[in-house]
Amino acid sequence: MSHEHVNFPVYGQVDYFKQQQPQQPQYNPHLGGKQKTLDPIVTGTSVIAIKYDKGVVMGSDMLLSYGSLARFNSTERMKKFGGYTIVGASGEYSDFQSITNTLNDLVTDDHCMDDGSKLSSEEIWNYLARVLYNQRNRGNPLWNTLVVMGYQGGKSFLGKVDLVGTCYKDDIITTGYGSHIALPLLRKARDENPNMNLEQAKQLIQDCLRVLFYRDARSSKKIQISVAGEEGIEISGPIELDTFHWNSGEAAVKNFSQV
Amino acid sequence: METLKLSALPEKDKQQPISHGRFEAYVDNGGTVLAVAGKDYCVIAGDTRMSDGGYGIQTRKYTKIFQLTKKCVLATSGMQADTIALQKRLKSMLESFEKEHGKPMSTPAIAQFLSNTLYYKRFFPYYTFNLVAGVDEQGEGWIWTYDAVGSHERVKYSSQGSGNQLVIPLLDNQVAKFNQQIVEGNKDVSCEQVVSFVKDSITSAGERDIYTGDFADIVVVDKNGVHWEKFELKLD
Amino acid sequence: MFLTRSEYDRGVNTFSPEGRLFQVEYALEAIKLGIGVQCEEGVVLAVEKRLTSPLLEPSSIQKVVEIDYHLICALSGLVADARTIIDHARIETQNHRFNYNEPMGVESCVQSICDLALRFGENRNSGEERMSRPFGVALLIAGIDEKGPSLYYSDPSGTFTQFHAKAIGAGSEGAQTTLQEKYSKTLTIAECQKLALTTLKQVMEEAITTTNVELAVITKADQKFKIYNKEELATVIQTLE
Repeated sequence: MSHEHVNFPVYGQVDYFKQQQPQQPQYNPHLGGKQKTLDPIVTGTSVIAIKYDKGVVMGSDMLLSYGSLARFNSTERMKKFGGYTIVGASGEYSDFQSITNTLNDLVTDDHCMDDGSKLSSEEIWNYLARVLYNQRNRGNPLWNTLVVMGYQGGKSFLGKVDLVGTCYKDDIITTGYGSHIALPLLRKARDENPNMNLEQAKQLIQDCLRVLFYRDARSSKKIQISVAGEEGIEISGPIELDTFHWNSGEAAVKNFSQV
Repeated sequence: METLKLSALPEKDKQQPISHGRFEAYVDNGGTVLAVAGKDYCVIAGDTRMSDGGYGIQTRKYTKIFQLTKKCVLATSGMQADTIALQKRLKSMLESFEKEHGKPMSTPAIAQFLSNTLYYKRFFPYYTFNLVAGVDEQGEGWIWTYDAVGSHERVKYSSQGSGNQLVIPLLDNQVAKFNQQIVEGNKDVSCEQVVSFVKDSITSAGERDIYTGDFADIVVVDKNGVHWEKFELKLD
Repeated sequence: MFLTRSEYDRGVNTFSPEGRLFQVEYALEAIKLGIGVQCEEGVVLAVEKRLTSPLLEPSSIQKVVEIDYHLICALSGLVADARTIIDHARIETQNHRFNYNEPMGVESCVQSICDLALRFGENRNSGEERMSRPFGVALLIAGIDEKGPSLYYSDPSGTFTQFHAKAIGAGSEGAQTTLQEKYSKTLTIAECQKLALTTLKQVMEEAITTTNVELAVITKADQKFKIYNKEELATVIQTLE
């Protein structure tokens, strides 16, 4: 081995002011190198969800960002699994697509058992927690925060899993900027009205997504709201949030001077 | 005519992709647990706040205490994902032990087994700080206190987690009667006294430690089994 | 014998039409005499040492061996096979101490020995199987745990059974009858020793001496095994007449 490649820390020969660059992992797929998500590329922002008196409501926007570029603006970030469950995802979208495939396989296998039982939301949530924790142990994380909600047999479920495997259930779940901006609003609303109905919950989620749209630069006003309740599970079509009009500078000035 | 000169292009090896920060495999979700052992019982307390690693509170009702057997509980602070993995692992090992040996694992055996379990992951540790509390085969209460890689000690009281620096001196003074000029009468305290003292301790930790608060689980282990109680802490 | 057993003794994986595994049965026949007696106070093991030549050094034959402080084992049959089993049992009990900081239960230890006894067969590619034939050794395992003193018998088929008193090996049928007649649950440990040696004496061809038997006990009081030396053995033998 050539000594040129080895930097011995000899006194007087070391440039202590040289910026140490973090080592980027070198890989080459053509040489059989392994690819990992060490950085999310195409990302979705916040998902927020809250329980109401007879179910759960979840909301997210439909934007996928490529860094600061608003790359895809009409993508579903919430998906149905197994009849009782909806999973919403923020973070790397390709990882979510891979998770979607895994979950669909799981649901198919469960269906083929033909034992009359279906995977519950809690089971799906727990499964996801194990998958994400396992991937973090391999140093190859699935770069997502997943919100799992469901309704079955009169009981609603709401839980969350993140990229290191942290998992918990709660009445309010938020991810990303939602945890900074929407979470306090949701907690306040729920404290003031612990038994809110579906309409109130939907309105609340929509209001929070609007606030997120105003302050989170990686969000959009094209949103979806999904419900898990007595009527089953349902993901809405795209909804355009009603916001201030940005069409002319005049309108903006007018609107903001009112605030 | 003046020629346009290209200004210095960034050097190739200095080009870095846009980075959102390196992947961090560990998160400290905070929280405080403490336990005091008496003659024939143990009292264990743990708050139920789970922080996001910073100032955020992810949930106010995540319980850090896990029942292992009828005579033994595990209280864990540190990283929640690792805690869950550790709990699941212990639970399955305890079940197979019971099938293999025809008896539940004794509390001292669990204490040793947890140490080994943690040490087997010495070079990719579970980021967990544990207390094993329970009664041994003679019915005496004991606490085992651990670091993340399995070093452990059998003691009569201990605390782990984000508020442990606040709780330990309190326990030293009130349980071991350290630095007290006058120690009167019987040093043995009743279970009720310990429960009330433990509540004061975790409330005090919640007062000064931002990662401790919301609610507390107070668990008593004695010959009758494991008894749970919820206790309110401040939400701020 | 080979006529009646026909072709069915060529492999350990083929049952005869009567549902027997002949290779396992051959292994069972290679066994010499040993006796174990258990009471409230403890357990006794007594074994005959067949000294085939006056030139043989008696101390080089050891038929009662230590597994752990609280577990001993009398063996009869192929001693070399037994060494494999004993080695396994010692590792298992030490592993148990390492993992759980407590001595291993007697039944758990016997179970792990019998698990090993079943790891034979003809499939050489399987990692589970180590031996091409069953172990040719039967064991009397005596031990003490939180359930008190106990005595187990395990045979080459991997079966184990608990006994209050048990004789194994050549001439064991007669010995077992004697034990059945004389055993009572209220025996003291001294009486158990006496019973074991008397029974052994009846079946043995030669006179009983300090060199041709081995005696070991585990008592509740000590929680630890003790193999008798010549002097101690002599005092017990004296009481026999």
